[in-house]
Amino acid sequence: MELRYDQSDVQASKRLAGRRGLFARANVAGISMKFGATVLFLLLQWVNVPLPNTPRTADGKPNLTAPVPRTSDGKPDLSGLWRNPDGKYLANIAADGIVVPFQPGAEALYKERQENFSKDRPSGRCLPHGIPDAMLVPATPFKLVQTPGVTLILYENQGRFRQVFTDGRDFPKQMDPTWLGYSVGKWDGDTFVADTRGLNDQTYLDDGGHPHSDAYHAVERFHRRDFGHMDMELTIDDPKAYQRPWKVTFHFELFPDNEIMESVCENELDWQHRVGK
Amino acid sequence: MKLAFIAFLLGQWISLSLPNTPRTPEGKPDLYAPSPKGYNGRPDFSGIWRVAASKYLFNITVDIGEAPFQPWAAELYKRRSDALGKDRPSERCIPHGIPDGMLVANSPFKIVQTAGEMVILYEEFNHFRQIFTDGRGFPPETSPSWFGYSIGRWDGDTFVAETTGFNDQSWFDDPGHPHSDALRVTERFRRPDFGHMTVEVTIDDPKAYTKPWSVKIPFNLLPDTELIESICENERDHAHIVGK
Repeated sequence: MELRYDQSDVQASKRLAGRRGLFARANVAGISMKFGATVLFLLLQWVNVPLPNTPRTADGKPNLTAPVPRTSDGKPDLSGLWRNPDGKYLANIAADGIVVPFQPGAEALYKERQENFSKDRPSGRCLPHGIPDAMLVPATPFKLVQTPGVTLILYENQGRFRQVFTDGRDFPKQMDPTWLGYSVGKWDGDTFVADTRGLNDQTYLDDGGHPHSDAYHAVERFHRRDFGHMDMELTIDDPKAYQRPWKVTFHFELFPDNEIMESVCENELDWQHRVGK
Repeated sequence: MKLAFIAFLLGQWISLSLPNTPRTPEGKPDLYAPSPKGYNGRPDFSGIWRVAASKYLFNITVDIGEAPFQPWAAELYKRRSDALGKDRPSERCIPHGIPDGMLVANSPFKIVQTAGEMVILYEEFNHFRQIFTDGRGFPPETSPSWFGYSIGRWDGDTFVAETTGFNDQSWFDDPGHPHSDALRVTERFRRPDFGHMTVEVTIDDPKAYTKPWSVKIPFNLLPDTELIESICENERDHAHIVGK
């Protein structure tokens, strides 16, 4: 079977690219008011691909409220391109009025980062966004590829990946601290639970600079409500940085009939020249 | 060039006993067991692979003699190799390309194969590549990119990946075999048994080479382990290496 591209797809993708530019600007706007940010990536054009597994309405459009697709073992299939369209969470994961139970040291560090406009944040040096903020960049969606043994998270942002293992393995006895940690997944009914440990203390939880320590243990609970919508409840368990575990729920929208683009960060060194207080 | 330094401190690969690894009577991975079958009864290439010899990264044409360069490409290659590969993209944390992302002996790669695509996860720099097998064709317009746009198909038990849409920036190997944006790469993946894979890479780039040319690269499975994270942190030392 050969899927065909027609000119309207190309036009649609151009419109989409335009929208995407808007999102990027909106995203940066949240930061740029405060930070005077530049756009770190040139935004290329997404490819519109009419995918065979997309359920459609009578007029041929993707049916985003169709039932959740399922794998052969009856579990929800989370595979697809997802995006959090609201840039406020990238700027501040506690934007919904969550009271963050900081430990004093973490609060001081957060305040310092706020005051210097997060000029040292890792993504400013082409280092990874972490968990959860790599999923929160509105201009760059992520793709889930669910297989029996592993679920892949392919981030368009910086072209990086994460693996959530579901082949029965446990955490290694010894883990070198890493940017994206070591993730083991399991099902709790129709909710996919990714448990991540072995993280270093380098990533920011958001661009605003909520910190974490190397004791950070992240639990992400993914629930696909219907074809076009998925929620993820993140529990941040990090007793060195926070007095108790705290939770944030993010909402993702499917980005149908599309593919992630390549986004390679080329030693962007401008960000650190931004001057804070 | 042979003295190329190791850009990364190597963490320790973990050892874990994976359930799908076939074993010899004494419990060791049986690397000569039949290749596993995946979707539609075709070979499943999933696993962690490592190039069988590091010589290919140091010269991709080592087994075939000189590539059929166009004059400008020969001149550029000479300049780059005389300068010991200085200015190669990977020294700026930019990915090795196709095929040389698979040629870094210190950094294996993992294949995850599904019905709809083959994903290649490179340990080096934590980058990935997708080869689509869901029936889509090449898009009418693509922005030039480091890894291009890849479509896969089956030819018997051989998985064939075609890739176009490249920029002209990546190098085929560390000394700098160049290519243009007219590059089209065909990779023919074969897995004769559990522990071995070959990829025959055909370079078709009429702007840079007078005719298509092919190299066949062997890979060994790394059983019972997992990739480790390797993030390139603005490695800038290599730029200070001085060539001729």
